[in-house]
Amino acid sequence: MIDERTEEQASLYALGLLSEQEAREFERELRESEELRGFVAQLKRSADLLATSAPSVEPPPHLKQKLLDQIEQRMKIVPLKKAETLFAPAWFPWAMAACLAVLCAIFFSENKSARQRSARLRDELQELQKQTISLRGETDILQNQVAEFRSKDRLSQLRIAMLSSLLASSPKAVAVSVWDNEQQKGVLVVEHLASLPSDKDYQLWVIDSKYPSPVDAGVFTVDEKGAVRFQFQPKSRVNFEKIAVTLERKGGVAKPEGKMVLLGS
Amino acid sequence: MPGQLRYPSRLSQKRVNEESAKLDVELLGQIAQGDRVAFSRCYDRYSGILFSIVVKVLNDPKEAEDVLQEVFLQIWDKAGIYKRELGVPFSWFVTLTRNKAIDRLRSSQRRFRLLEELKEETAVLTNAGSTFMTDPENRESSVMVRSAVRSLPSDQRQAIELAFFGGLTQNEISESLGQPLGTVKARIRRGMLKLRDALEDHL
Repeated sequence: MIDERTEEQASLYALGLLSEQEAREFERELRESEELRGFVAQLKRSADLLATSAPSVEPPPHLKQKLLDQIEQRMKIVPLKKAETLFAPAWFPWAMAACLAVLCAIFFSENKSARQRSARLRDELQELQKQTISLRGETDILQNQVAEFRSKDRLSQLRIAMLSSLLASSPKAVAVSVWDNEQQKGVLVVEHLASLPSDKDYQLWVIDSKYPSPVDAGVFTVDEKGAVRFQFQPKSRVNFEKIAVTLERKGGVAKPEGKMVLLGS
Repeated sequence: MPGQLRYPSRLSQKRVNEESAKLDVELLGQIAQGDRVAFSRCYDRYSGILFSIVVKVLNDPKEAEDVLQEVFLQIWDKAGIYKRELGVPFSWFVTLTRNKAIDRLRSSQRRFRLLEELKEETAVLTNAGSTFMTDPENRESSVMVRSAVRSLPSDQRQAIELAFFGGLTQNEISESLGQPLGTVKARIRRGMLKLRDALEDHL
């Protein structure tokens, strides 16, 4: 019968939690009891199985070949032949002692020069650390510049078009569109456009010569002052050439049917 | 019933384990003779599970790669001195791997982070869909082990995991959990006994 204290020691032993001395003492107990050996074997096996509870991760595929290559290299190293026993003359120990003394002198001198090298390397390391800090600062500056250039590049992608009125009834109507070619999105700002009856909508079109007809970019209405700020995105990817607004029936049409109200390029 | 897990009977699981251990002993014998094909088979059988242990301990797949390499080179070098009395080869592999991973962990600064993660971890071991070995029996076995570990009360599971995957000493576990040493020991004892009972079919 295994008592509670021994069970506790066995559990700690199975998990490798006993100190060296505790483990030695416990192993003495183990040698004396077959029952305890069986019990510990079960706990040890349970602990090993804990390993399989780790979330599964596969090693990278190249690792196996790397290992096989390393093994191949190891196999090429031919073990040294066992040295034959030599006849040792009486002066041999003295010669060995002399060699040892010479080696000690060499090691002492090497040690000194190694220390000097170490000090030099430490200085170089400090210098490199300083340079690293300075380089980090420069990197930050460059990153800011890159961000700025990107932002400028982004601006270069924008296209601005003025639209003027084609209607005698709304001569003051004017609109500006800003088009982002990369995002394929735009904004149209309109002023002084005539208000619409309830069954009508203004419809925006982007004209791209690669399409047989203008590409629908959505419908909008204006407020009582004839103004609107309208964000649009054409139904197809376009290369912006011209932009136009037509007057259409409520909800819009697939191809322009009504009068052209505004046009810009 | 479709989709239901097939739990192997005690006898069949024991037989699977015995057959697996027998094959491993044969492989180790061949590796000791310098058989690279046997080494390659051994790698295929165990690289997944051993890598998973190292990743769990170190939380760093790049460093885990180095450790796994060291483990397999040691298996190659030491296959000849493996003794059956030390346990089945799988136990030897796990011990080698765990020791190397924990040594690496101790020599690095990541220990604190791992501790924090382990402490916060309350719903671990949920990755039941992944595999650690290709054999379906082992997959099934892995699912059962996870389920057994999950069934432990969290205080017991935490203490055991801190020891097994964190490589902490008794005192460190006690400090980390803010519990007296006696309580920690009792938790480990109760947890290990429960784990043993739950995994009876595999032992």
